[in-house]
Amino acid sequence: MPESSSRRRWLLRSLQASIAATLAAVFYPVVRFLRPREATSSGAQEVVAPYRPSELKPDAGRGPRPFNFGGKPCLLVLSPDGEKRLAEGQKLLDGDVKAFNAICTHLDCTVEYRPEKADIFCNCHNGVYDLNGTNISGPPPRPLEAYKVTLRGTAKPGETAKPGQEEIIVSRTT
Amino acid sequence: MRRFSRNVLCAVLLAAPVAVAASPAAEKKVPSKPAAEKKTAAKPAEPENQCILCHGDADLWEGDRRRLYVTVKDLAGDIHWEKGLRCQDCHGGNARAADIKEAPHALEDGFRSLRSIRKDTQSKDYANPPEPVRVVDLCGNCHADIDFMRRYNPSPRVDQLREYWTSGHGQRLKETGDPNVATCVSCHHKPHGSGLDTAKHAVRPVADLASPVYRTHVAETCATKCHANQELMAGRKYHDRPLGHDQYAEWGKSVHAEALLKKGDLSAPTCNNCHGNHGALPPQVGSVANACGACHGKVASLFADTVMKHQFEKLELPGCAACHGKHDVVKPTDEMLGMGGGAFCVKCHPEEENQKGHYGATIAGAETARALHADLDDLDQAIRDAKATIAKAERLGMPLPGPPSDPNLDLALYLRKAFDSQTNARVLIHSFKLPPVEASLKEGLEIASEVQQVAEGALQEYDSRRIWLAASLAPILLVILLLVLYIRTLPPSR
Amino acid sequence: MSPAPPNDRPDATGRWGRLKAFFFERLGLEDLRALAAKKRVPIHQTTIFYFLGGMALFLFAIQVITGALLSLYYKPSPDQAFESVRAIMTEVDYGWLIRSIHSWSANLLIGVIFLHLLTTYIMRAYRAPREITWITGVLLLVVFLAFGFSGYLLPWNELSFFATKVGTAIVGAVPLVGEQLLLLARSGKEVTGDTLARFYSLHVVILPVATFAILGVHLFLVQKHGMSIPDRVAERRGGADKVPSMPFVPDFLVRDMVGWYLALGILAVLAALYPWELALKADPMASTPEGTKPEWYFLFMFQTLRATPAEVWGIENDVLVVLFFAFVGLVVLLVPFLDGGAPRGRTRQVFNVLVVAAVIFFIVMTAWGLLE
Repeated sequence: MPESSSRRRWLLRSLQASIAATLAAVFYPVVRFLRPREATSSGAQEVVAPYRPSELKPDAGRGPRPFNFGGKPCLLVLSPDGEKRLAEGQKLLDGDVKAFNAICTHLDCTVEYRPEKADIFCNCHNGVYDLNGTNISGPPPRPLEAYKVTLRGTAKPGETAKPGQEEIIVSRTT
Repeated sequence: MRRFSRNVLCAVLLAAPVAVAASPAAEKKVPSKPAAEKKTAAKPAEPENQCILCHGDADLWEGDRRRLYVTVKDLAGDIHWEKGLRCQDCHGGNARAADIKEAPHALEDGFRSLRSIRKDTQSKDYANPPEPVRVVDLCGNCHADIDFMRRYNPSPRVDQLREYWTSGHGQRLKETGDPNVATCVSCHHKPHGSGLDTAKHAVRPVADLASPVYRTHVAETCATKCHANQELMAGRKYHDRPLGHDQYAEWGKSVHAEALLKKGDLSAPTCNNCHGNHGALPPQVGSVANACGACHGKVASLFADTVMKHQFEKLELPGCAACHGKHDVVKPTDEMLGMGGGAFCVKCHPEEENQKGHYGATIAGAETARALHADLDDLDQAIRDAKATIAKAERLGMPLPGPPSDPNLDLALYLRKAFDSQTNARVLIHSFKLPPVEASLKEGLEIASEVQQVAEGALQEYDSRRIWLAASLAPILLVILLLVLYIRTLPPSR
Repeated sequence: MSPAPPNDRPDATGRWGRLKAFFFERLGLEDLRALAAKKRVPIHQTTIFYFLGGMALFLFAIQVITGALLSLYYKPSPDQAFESVRAIMTEVDYGWLIRSIHSWSANLLIGVIFLHLLTTYIMRAYRAPREITWITGVLLLVVFLAFGFSGYLLPWNELSFFATKVGTAIVGAVPLVGEQLLLLARSGKEVTGDTLARFYSLHVVILPVATFAILGVHLFLVQKHGMSIPDRVAERRGGADKVPSMPFVPDFLVRDMVGWYLALGILAVLAALYPWELALKADPMASTPEGTKPEWYFLFMFQTLRATPAEVWGIENDVLVVLFFAFVGLVVLLVPFLDGGAPRGRTRQVFNVLVVAAVIFFIVMTAWGLLE
């Protein structure tokens, strides 16, 4: 009898241990699941652009590449007013930077910003848009989809960014 | 006292929502829409216009004189009527004459002195057919006079008449007086049974949606009465080439028709974009590339520098249309390039060393064509594979990291660059040279293979899931085993 | 001579012992323990059927947990639903696991409930005094089918959107109140974001509350009346009290746990090797694709509808099929009252034939629906 009861106790203990192990195997993914993830690329409604307005200047070379916004490429351009303000070292206003869906409305190529010509150009069939995204020459049938842009002083409270170093926040208009 | 205040509180709480719901503020006002204004309602006949009194009376015009029955309704939407022109401005006569005897077209004279598009109004034959040249003269009388047109439009076009006489229609009319040739009213007036227009005497402005020459209706107008009519087109030639009657059907199959009619892209070309409006003529062999190049600028300029262009001109082949078709321009595929079945290059270029090509087409050209096709195919396949692998990984729920060059970038977005380079390459092939095409393709290939690697890596992650599975099944099976053993140690039931 | 039952009661000494004693006193757990100790489960040929109820409960618990976890990331609006599920599958750690378990477990749960219904019928466990247990059980079946239907729409992919469209359209076939029911179900005339919000609320709030209420009554009644013993078994032993039994704790519970762990293992295999698909995002403007069908547990009804000609005796087939299944449902609900008679009575035999026919009908229709 003592043998069988000690056997049972041993069984019970190992049972409890292995049940605990299974619970751990269950809880591990659950705990990982609960950890918040980085802001995702898809379905995003708002994103902070990886560029600052000063990188959009004509003399900064070719305009920076479109970045990912909600799974689509997003292009940033500097308006003529913005260029002026930047040159004079003044603070930029929201309308000085514009953001567009960089997919050409003709045959879906990716457009590029040409700061030296103050236009947006599609290399595939020589489509040209102006800095408001309106199609002005070539085959594109519709203007580029525009996004809303807000400029923010800085992420740190109590500080204001230098002109040209503001954060560009792009969000959907709907 | 406590019970009383409790009752009051209950009553207030119950009454409040009822009071709010019943208050006028809760009533919603539905705004009433203003009645839509009828733009095309024709103005009623003024006392200065007595023509309508007779010509608008249905009982007077029977049989073959029915064509003289015109009411104000028939003029609804007519741009001339809207601008204030009246019957006499085109047809002459005295519109104020209330008494028919005073009107210059008095009964005895049989209204002969009026201008009409009918031939020979001097004869007593009522059923005489319309004479096209009269139409042209009638319309051109005003529309070619800048001093007159300026009154209605500060910067008018007045060259339509001159253009017309240079067109295929105008030349034929001048030379042969063919009564079936198109004139102003053929396109601007009669809707050819399309059901567009109920006003039979109205000439609408081009921008009017019901006009037979509104952009989306142009091809139908050219075709339905004339150019798709087999009997009418039989035997007609332009410079020894038969006109044929299949252009409309062919155009209907094209991407241009799809863009214009289905996608509503008003910039897509219809008959007049390539053939001209009033000066309608087929483009010359050397000008086809310019017609296409009006929109496809980059391709046309690349083509203009090639040997092919000059060869084509010499051979009287119609430039772009030699490969892409004249009217049935469909979406081009990679199969059109190269020496395989379905390709155009093979029609002239020889396939093997010893064969002779047509028109001096070289074997070197054939090699170039083959190489171009193969390169395009490679990239297409690489992109397709990468896309499929990404889709598979997503379907299985594997997380996809970014490409090594920019780990934060979304992988599918990165692949777009390969797609861009593919489109660019497909444009560059019109230079019919390998180096620029290969340069464009190289970037695309690199990107596609990078993406493929990353996606495959993600798929391999899938294997790590099986390891997780095995790792979690082990304790589960162990527990089951131990439970069974434990059950065996339990005393049997009573 | 059988050995004395083991003494597993913990000591009231030591840290754990004192902690346990603390909770026992405060929460009155001693009564619960006494109740549990008294509960016994009869042993006979069909004892295995007794496990199905507990299995359903276990799977339901899994649904609640995984469902709660999913609701931490899911966004119930048409432009975000699909993307949020996609994010769960591809971006959240082990999101694929939680979601796939939730989807697979849902199907397993409904299957188990069907089996539970069938086996309680076979054992005639609905006889007095267990009529209300049966009724609450049938209600629970309806609730869980509603869970399945509402949950199916939530990923907002092509398949689920159109299956919902077709499914709610059939609801509209109920005579007299059909249109009102359709408007109620769809929260409008068409399947839109409003429908999604309504289904989400149903799935996450209303149905769970209903479940807890009805399940509470169901479980309470099961405890109150104990496990039912089939007539034949009682006869053979010479009386219900002479049927051998095992204590619920630990014997039956431990066997229950074996089943639960098996289910867990099966779910893990299914989730890892056959993860639930994302498919394509729904496009409400598109036309219903060919081959739109509901999930397998509704397939037999759907296939019946497809198989009947458009008009029978002047009545549209939707109305006819809906009424037919409503009638069948009513019969199922009222089985305890329709068959209260003797064990081998005429009604019982008729019902047995009907049940066999129903099961065959279910299997044939489901198979046919899957193959078409």
